[in-house]
Amino acid sequence: MKLPNARLFLSLAALAACLSVMPALAAQDLESAQLLHPAPDSWPTYNGDYSGRRHVRFTQITPQNVGDLSLAWAFQTDQTAQIKSSPLLVDGVLYFTVPDNIWAVDARSGHLIWHYNRPSTRGDHIGHRGVAMYKGWLYFTTPDCHLISLNAKDGAVRWDKLIADVSRGYWTTMAPLVVKDHVIVGVSGDLDNLPGYLRSFDPESGAVQWQWDATPPAGTPNATTGGMTWITGTYDPELNLIYWGTGNPTPVLNGKTRPGADLYTCSIVALDPDTGKLAWGFSVSPHDTHDWDAVETPVLVDGDFHGQPRKMLMQASRNGYFFVLDRTNGHSLLSLPYGPVNWSLGVDKEGHPIPNPEKEPAPDGRLIAPDEGGLTNYRSPSFDPATGLFIVDAHPSFSIYFAKPADGAYGWAGADYGVWGKGVIEAIDYQTGKIRWSHEVGEGGSGAGVMTTASGLTITGDAHGNVLALETGNGKTLWHAGTGSSMQSSPISYELDGRQYIVTSSGGVLFAWALPEDRIHLGQPLEASH
Amino acid sequence: MSKLQAIRTALFLAAVVTGLSLAASFETSARAARQADTQAQPGAASKDPGAEAYAHHCAICHGDRRQGNLPGFPPLVGISHRMNSEKIAALIHSGRGRMPAFPGVKDDELTALLRFLDTAEPAEDAAAGSVAHTTLSEAGRALFEQNCAFCHGRDAQGGETGPDLTQSKLVRRDRTGDAIATVIREGRPDGKMPPFNFSAQQIRSIIAFIHEREAEAIARPGGRRGVSVADLQTGNAAAGKRYFDGAGGCAKCHSATGDLAGVASRYEGLELEERMLYPRGVTSQVTITLPSGKSISGALAYRDEFTVALRDADGVYRSWSTSRVHYTVHAPVEAHVDLFSKYTDDDIHNLMAYLQTLR
Repeated sequence: MKLPNARLFLSLAALAACLSVMPALAAQDLESAQLLHPAPDSWPTYNGDYSGRRHVRFTQITPQNVGDLSLAWAFQTDQTAQIKSSPLLVDGVLYFTVPDNIWAVDARSGHLIWHYNRPSTRGDHIGHRGVAMYKGWLYFTTPDCHLISLNAKDGAVRWDKLIADVSRGYWTTMAPLVVKDHVIVGVSGDLDNLPGYLRSFDPESGAVQWQWDATPPAGTPNATTGGMTWITGTYDPELNLIYWGTGNPTPVLNGKTRPGADLYTCSIVALDPDTGKLAWGFSVSPHDTHDWDAVETPVLVDGDFHGQPRKMLMQASRNGYFFVLDRTNGHSLLSLPYGPVNWSLGVDKEGHPIPNPEKEPAPDGRLIAPDEGGLTNYRSPSFDPATGLFIVDAHPSFSIYFAKPADGAYGWAGADYGVWGKGVIEAIDYQTGKIRWSHEVGEGGSGAGVMTTASGLTITGDAHGNVLALETGNGKTLWHAGTGSSMQSSPISYELDGRQYIVTSSGGVLFAWALPEDRIHLGQPLEASH
Repeated sequence: MSKLQAIRTALFLAAVVTGLSLAASFETSARAARQADTQAQPGAASKDPGAEAYAHHCAICHGDRRQGNLPGFPPLVGISHRMNSEKIAALIHSGRGRMPAFPGVKDDELTALLRFLDTAEPAEDAAAGSVAHTTLSEAGRALFEQNCAFCHGRDAQGGETGPDLTQSKLVRRDRTGDAIATVIREGRPDGKMPPFNFSAQQIRSIIAFIHEREAEAIARPGGRRGVSVADLQTGNAAAGKRYFDGAGGCAKCHSATGDLAGVASRYEGLELEERMLYPRGVTSQVTITLPSGKSISGALAYRDEFTVALRDADGVYRSWSTSRVHYTVHAPVEAHVDLFSKYTDDDIHNLMAYLQTLR
């Protein structure tokens, strides 16, 4: 074979070398490396990264200049479903969802690039958490339990696989988690007695690789069903474990047919992402009878705990308890309430709350704190390493729970009614469980998801439609903007063209906030050094 | 058997009915041939092996005319429009949920059974059962299931953060559908129920579904899920009065002969208990001190971290930035919140017993 012209060859090699160091992240390159170490100009997965801390390294927007934060652009979806998803930002394009819909929006201008709509008439349309991406392909769950893979360039469908059978009572809302060559998907559905599970799909073909079942099969005597895997989990690449929360048992308010701890409902589990095999499980709400899913983000933090370095997992759970676990083995380090809780007899020596049988739903009702929505719900918390604060949108609340024999042992099997509640952003010291500061965000409401920045800002929202920037150290409000509808999602942030953007949503509108361009070239470093 | 199972299996029926009406225009010659086959065989009508297999294995649950037995057992009329033979055979062999497996039904018997299930449905009163199903309410069921069931329950009997619509005064009194339509379109002011953007026809179908659930719940009082007045009679009225006048502190603001006289004639059951625990929509008072030092008081109309507003004595709405004024809110209703951590469940039931004597 003749050698190519040497000069041409060298030019091509030089060009190739230049291209390989181009800073922009190309969607078709979104591979494991980018997911493991997200570039500043990306938000490549639901939680931003595998740790679930929702903490960004950026320091362009600071407590000193956040007063000048202004609207860069807004994108209106022109439809009534509330945005509950965290957008992905890859290669200058934002991808976000509501049930049955994906929008791809230019992250610089807020203009529509493409919109995918797949109307579905079955399955609960309660909300949608977002898409996952891998190598230029998007992965999208539908209310009727399909997993659709689409081309990120234009939304063209590549394949369509079934996650679950909607006619049995399942539906799907979550953003899948991509770990190496696994697209991991969870299910919802607690109006029927169904087992929850996690299923891993091959990203190229959509073939099922493994399935982990949260409970024994339906119909197993004296056993529970449920354990729905509602929300995206987290991943530790060194331990090679994924961490996932599971939902409540079914029947929901009647625990008589499912005595015992009802594993692995209301649990945090650690699984091998290559096989789906369980490494350990920790029961957050043994024998739950109040619908308190333990699906809140299992946040992974490496740090000291009472003087010892630990690989930890933290969860502020729906049942009102804040848990710190050793994520190598699931052992409890701390289990303490972070708000009003009246249903337990305390915590056992392994860190599990002990449910009080007197506070199980009864024919004439029981007053329960918190309400069925829980002391927190799907909106994400954030961990700030500088302060050691776990910051969460809390909902101190009270409710009455009823169950009687006529309600049966199928599905909800009872009734519950919230009586009062309010929204509070709480900053929990992870070593003690004490609440260092709290910031009221509205009667009757809940707050919003939380994101923290390395410059010491906490970004969240109140129940009245205000986006808030708080000082992470003390919860003081430094900036706000009224958006007209309360935030039902969790904020994200990224850097594009040297400008830090914070993106929030409320109602059906996506908002991008940034400092005015002339404020940026003041020698502020964009990122904190690691 | 709970209503939830009823709704699931009735949803089956909805799909079947939909399939039927679609299939009516897609009669295949093969199917017609099969029917002709069945009819041509001498004595087939009485000795059809498929009909025998059905009678032997299936009729006990699915009814001798394939009409099903709701809530537990779905009708099989037109099942071949919903599932192909392979799927039906697989289901017969594996069972599903309450349906046992029939692995022994195979070969000729299975073929005959599948053929039988594919034959023309017997002429039947489609409105069998105590409540007539119209296609409007079936369309409403699908919409309700997707959009409303999460809070109001599949059977509209509530209890999953949303109220029981079958016991709702608003639903009961709404003859024209306007009141329900308004709530659907606008949601609730406290933000607990979001607004929904449905067409007029969609709203009509949802309303039809809700009224059907209401009728069904009234027809089967013992099977009603949720809380009835009879459930809330476990307290002791005398103990309730002592709590009211004493430890509960209720008498500081309320009077059995004053504001609460006849309260049990105005409210009953769950609604009375909910209002007792925390009455929603109570207007608080606010006093604003302006930078000038002047004070103005009125009914609190709005408050968040940045804005406070009132309606003054003339009913005019006025607001201020909280950074410019001082204000104090007078909200005696918050004493209810203070009690939450103090009540025992017995206190609550006793109080209910006492309040229910105030007619």
